[in-house]
Amino acid sequence: MTIKKLNLVLLTAVILSLCSCNDKQNTGTKSSNEAVTRDVFAMDTYMNLKVYSDDAETVLNEAEERIYQLEKELSVTSENSDVWVLDHNKNADISDDTARIIRKAVDIGSMTNGALDITLYPLVREWGFTTGEYSIPDKKRIDELLKNVGYERIKLNGNKAELSENAEIDLGALAKGYTGDEVIDIMKSHGVSSAIVSLGGNVQALGSKPDGSSWKVAVRDPFSPEKDMCVVEISGKAVITSGNYERFFTGDDGRNYWHILDPKDGFPADNGIVSATVIGDNGLECDALSTAFFVMGLDKIKEYLADNPENDVILVTDDRKIYYSSGLSDKFTNISDMPAEVTAID
Amino acid sequence: MTKGVKILIAAAALLFVGSLVWILLSFRDSDSTIVEVVQNNKVIYTFDLSKEKDRTIRVNAPDGGWNDIKIENGTICISDADCSDHTCVKTGVLRSEQIPIVCLPHRLVIRYADKRDS
Repeated sequence: MTIKKLNLVLLTAVILSLCSCNDKQNTGTKSSNEAVTRDVFAMDTYMNLKVYSDDAETVLNEAEERIYQLEKELSVTSENSDVWVLDHNKNADISDDTARIIRKAVDIGSMTNGALDITLYPLVREWGFTTGEYSIPDKKRIDELLKNVGYERIKLNGNKAELSENAEIDLGALAKGYTGDEVIDIMKSHGVSSAIVSLGGNVQALGSKPDGSSWKVAVRDPFSPEKDMCVVEISGKAVITSGNYERFFTGDDGRNYWHILDPKDGFPADNGIVSATVIGDNGLECDALSTAFFVMGLDKIKEYLADNPENDVILVTDDRKIYYSSGLSDKFTNISDMPAEVTAID
Repeated sequence: MTKGVKILIAAAALLFVGSLVWILLSFRDSDSTIVEVVQNNKVIYTFDLSKEKDRTIRVNAPDGGWNDIKIENGTICISDADCSDHTCVKTGVLRSEQIPIVCLPHRLVIRYADKRDS
């Protein structure tokens, strides 16, 4: 080989090498491969949106506006929200968003034998979970309020909603899941293929990470909520948890009382589940089901999932055991000291 | 071995070493000891907890409230605040990349800095 030829080979190698370095640099600095995040404080919680897009600011602005719009429609305390008007007037012309959520709430209520019931609101308020002024209501008061509870007290005809006398609703068990779906839809409409949002701990992912690998989402340990319990790998899914550690108070009797109430007796649901995570394509459904599953207990959840196997679950029982559905077997990593087993539910 | 072949080997070796350094620099794990303090979407502090001295910093909120951020033995927490619920204080030290310390009333977030795509 002559020096001339060698120089040519060398030059080619250097150019190729530089090209490959240059490509690498682009992938590292191009905005579509760099996350842009946005904090949003809405719906009485902290939300974090992370998007990979050349047009991230536009996408995030639109998503943030949509969140504020939904907050206005769905808030139970803001005067003139759909829910506020319905609760006060017992009938209202509601937005498409509110109608969709109520419809889903009634559907899941019906499918779970009433484990999810958005008409529990007067009881949630009585326990102080809406105001932070916690107290244990006496049994008489609870029984009195329970008379007005029942999802069948809601009538929905298109965008016209009606409530029976003394009934009131709250969409807190579904609003964040729906909002997550809407945020993801906005991102999709802008051609975004990789994003992840956390709405008060409800995680929803659009696609996979920019490198094609799955997102790793941690689920909190209900016995040590400052720590993670397990990690689940997802792409394009919602991971939504209801736990007894999210909002609770300790009564004078030394017992903890949490905000997810059992529609059957009006007391904090205590059927053996301390954390219910639902993983699926639809955030609204996952959000609704996580609350329902928390109330139902392990056996009834298994029965439900046998008939409706679309979603995966991670459940923690009060005897410190983790159960997860077989659909997660290659996506689930236990990082807690609790034993974890695949449940035979699907 | 001709002079040309020697040059080629030397150049290839140089390229190899150079690439190795490049790869190491590009893929080094962004340190999970880097945390950021974000107020209303603005990063107001970035700390490398492995290097920071123990200290407490008061962050004033635009509404007049405050949070005391305490760095101690490589950990960070909100040690005190004048918010109504004290959820930020009760959260304790920052442990998880997915569980930031949040003070809703003061719109303050302490979280690990972005570790690429995780």
